[in-house]
Amino acid sequence: MKKRLGIISLFVMLFLAFIAIWNYSYQLGLEEAYIPIEDQNHLYAIPSESGVFRRSEHALDYSNMPVDENHQRSLTTYYENRAYHGAPPSIPHPVNEHQNMGGQSCLKCHENGGFAEKFNAYAPVTPHPELVNCKQCHVEQNTQSLFKSGHYASIVAPKAGVNHALLGSPPMIPHQIQLRENCLSCHAGPSAPIEIRVSHPERVNCRQCHVPNTQEMTAVGTFKRAGNEE
Amino acid sequence: MQNSLTSRRKFLKKMAAAAAMTAAASMFPGIIFASEQDANVPKGGNLDWKKGPCRFCGVGCGILVGIDKGKAVAVKGDPNSSVNKGLLCVKGYHQIMCTQAKDRLTHALVKKNGRYVQTPIDEALDLVANKMKETMEKHGKDSVAMYTSGQSTIPEGYVASKLMKGAIGTNNLDCNARLCMASAVAGFLTTFGADEPMGCYEDIDHADYFITWGNNMAEMHPVLFSRMLEQKNRRGAKIIDFATRTTRSSTASNTSILFEPQTDLAVANAICYEIIKNGWVNKSFIENHVNFSKGITNMGYGLEDNYKFKDKPTKINFEAYKKFLEDYTPEQVAKYSKVSVKDIKYLAAIYGDPNKKVVSYWCMGMNQHTRGTWMNNLVYNIHLLTGKISQPGNGPFSLTGQPSACGTAREVGTFTHKLPKGVVMNEKHRRLAAKIWNVPYERIPSKPTYHATEMFRAVDRGDIKFIWTQVTNPLVSLPKTSRYRPGMEKDSCFVVVSDVFPTPTSDVADVILPASWHIEKSGLYGNSERRTQHWDQMVEGPGETTPDAWMTIEVAKRMGYGDLFPYSKENHVEEIYKEYTQFHEGAKHGMAPLEVLKKESGAIWPYVNGKSTQWRFNAKYDPACKNGKDFHFYGKPDGKAVIWQRPYEPAPEIPDAEYPFWLNTGRVIEHWHTGSMTRRIPVLHKAVPEAYIEFHPDDAKKLGIRNGEHIKVSSRRGSCVLPASINERGLPTRGQVFVPFFDENMLINDVTLDAFCPISKEPDYKKCAVKVEKA
Repeated sequence: MKKRLGIISLFVMLFLAFIAIWNYSYQLGLEEAYIPIEDQNHLYAIPSESGVFRRSEHALDYSNMPVDENHQRSLTTYYENRAYHGAPPSIPHPVNEHQNMGGQSCLKCHENGGFAEKFNAYAPVTPHPELVNCKQCHVEQNTQSLFKSGHYASIVAPKAGVNHALLGSPPMIPHQIQLRENCLSCHAGPSAPIEIRVSHPERVNCRQCHVPNTQEMTAVGTFKRAGNEE
Repeated sequence: MQNSLTSRRKFLKKMAAAAAMTAAASMFPGIIFASEQDANVPKGGNLDWKKGPCRFCGVGCGILVGIDKGKAVAVKGDPNSSVNKGLLCVKGYHQIMCTQAKDRLTHALVKKNGRYVQTPIDEALDLVANKMKETMEKHGKDSVAMYTSGQSTIPEGYVASKLMKGAIGTNNLDCNARLCMASAVAGFLTTFGADEPMGCYEDIDHADYFITWGNNMAEMHPVLFSRMLEQKNRRGAKIIDFATRTTRSSTASNTSILFEPQTDLAVANAICYEIIKNGWVNKSFIENHVNFSKGITNMGYGLEDNYKFKDKPTKINFEAYKKFLEDYTPEQVAKYSKVSVKDIKYLAAIYGDPNKKVVSYWCMGMNQHTRGTWMNNLVYNIHLLTGKISQPGNGPFSLTGQPSACGTAREVGTFTHKLPKGVVMNEKHRRLAAKIWNVPYERIPSKPTYHATEMFRAVDRGDIKFIWTQVTNPLVSLPKTSRYRPGMEKDSCFVVVSDVFPTPTSDVADVILPASWHIEKSGLYGNSERRTQHWDQMVEGPGETTPDAWMTIEVAKRMGYGDLFPYSKENHVEEIYKEYTQFHEGAKHGMAPLEVLKKESGAIWPYVNGKSTQWRFNAKYDPACKNGKDFHFYGKPDGKAVIWQRPYEPAPEIPDAEYPFWLNTGRVIEHWHTGSMTRRIPVLHKAVPEAYIEFHPDDAKKLGIRNGEHIKVSSRRGSCVLPASINERGLPTRGQVFVPFFDENMLINDVTLDAFCPISKEPDYKKCAVKVEKA
């Protein structure tokens, strides 16, 4: 009888242990994401073509424009207006209309540019006039002081004149062009920073000669043949 | 918007006054940099600039290569070249970088017990010659074949033809231009009796309208497109993009019209219908210069081995042609072409307006077509009906994809049916070749043998037991490589591959011969506008690399044909060119002498009395016109061009329930053909590191496909896995996917169909049925 009881209690204990372990692992399983996140092997994105030729109808005007030497922007002032290169520039001037999203009031000056007497400067041209909720991304600068200062990491902005693959070959495009597919809006006209103002805006098909560079997104190595590792 | 050159000059002067001229400015003629812009640009020392044509596409831009201490270090556009006037494209500017690739083939490799063993070049050439001879002795001369290229130089093509047809006596010679230009050739021959465009690039400066037929010129012929854009901006010329996919060209055009694959045949006929209906026919032109003909229909698609077809032309009259077109009213055609009636009438009105000058451009969209010859004929019909041909700014213009598809493949004739002048079927042509080659005329067989696709079928069947490929990569570029790769791997065929880099084709070779790259040898190319261009060797190639022409000559000598190849190693290019030009003497095809080509940035043939002929068949410009009228289509015996009655016929494989998508294949601006060169140019590889499959966003949404997700695309022949691309480089129409073919690691040609145009034997890479699923 004792012997039988011993065997029964052994089985009961094994059964309880099984339940405990099963329960524990079930709970652990629940903590894991139930949709596995797949590793994406896709390395890069090919820049979109939308709006590539948008301002090309003004190309000849651009090439005929005289240079206004007294009101030139430089890359330094261009970058100063951005948290980091590629960030949406902040609005460096006072804005009167506070209740709208921007839209027409911004586009009046920033769709086609032109000299603004008030600010003694040429208005930069937006590469994406179809996105009219300007203040979604562009914020005003209403104070010079900080709430709290901090150690904001900074990334090095691309420089002009160092993006050639070969001596004198057309420079590569050293920055991403998402939302900035239309090259002429920043690289042509009186508001273009002097270092990056294109000397040949009438060429229009920029990517005929200037290759996008994916290095900012992923470091693509050199070409490797499948199954032929060096 | 109107603008004169002088105001631009004024502007440049102003800029120049403000900015110092520096070394960088001299790199880009006509472009002046502000001092801030080139502050960081390294200054070029005293580079030695050497002239030549670009290595890549058929536009044939002039390049200047900067040489520093025996090394090529820079490339710029040749300002003296009327083709590109100093401008190039991403590929052109960086081309020399590929020669520095680590895996460059520098020595001959011979396969021994499954491994490649580095072998002295002389020994490897001995082996090739012995093997070729032995195969011929055992299995007959038609058991050996050569497969060359539209990238072969003129001398390379010439010695290959002379070896195969003149020395050995077999027509087993074809080339990769069969895959890209054969329909253009067949179109020219059937309509005009003379190959190659009648106009030239200068047409761009005169035309009011550019109509591109299935042709993404902004990426594929970028320099010509830039010239069109310039005219669009300066003169208000209009670009109309007629295509099956929205591309960079569509975005830049004034109008983009999309059509359902294969229905271009019907739309072209509908345009002719409208032209006749509205009385826009140029009656006197038709009466004086045009005949009407029809040929055999329901030709099939060449899908079966040993498929044969011969067209039988029958003369018809204008009334019969008019009657035939009644099936192609814009209303009827709009139903299946998905082109609106309004758009068809718009296109017809442009062609029909006698005051508007129109150039039609096309390349692979029309040529890689199971009815490619017909399609070429149909566009000629439009230009002939309206008399808009052979005049500055008016004419059909067939573009080429390879740098010497015209110069070598078509003019030297590295096709099975061709001779440097004429065709093997013609006794007079055989006699001329035999005379210049100094061989018995009976040796040149009168029957063509294998065209490209059939040649690799014959390898697969075991009929061809020795094949030598030069300057081409068929196991990436052939259609249905899923059949031809295993075919070439078979032991029944000895494979010799000459190339600059290892490729999937050299992977199956028994002997790999190391070829010199472009500027490491001298040569001549001929571009789309009949321009012949010469270059001298600029740098030394590495290791034992040897020019292809010289390797062919060395093998010919070893096979005992030395007396037919009496050329010197140092001067063979010039000697061969001088011999070759005898074939084309006369006003119809005279070639510019070498002295001229060395001095100038190319010359257009017919080169007569020291002058290029820019517009053929037009008595005002072409001294070969002899009929006393304003035009003379002297390619045809009666001096008249032919308007062909060619119907719409469906594609061989159409999307169905199981395979619901059209598959279209093509290129991107960064990569050229199978990518063996451009992928070894780091700048270009980094811009587009791998192939992808483009979806229409609606299709992607329906299938739940996200950008970058891996997609398996399969047909009845094979499959391939690629990342999805939605709204990136191009936008296919709904129900269509697009894949660029440059990526040897994602072989889309395993999926394509090897159907071809029965007349030209050119495969259709643009249409087959596939299914897609997440991989």
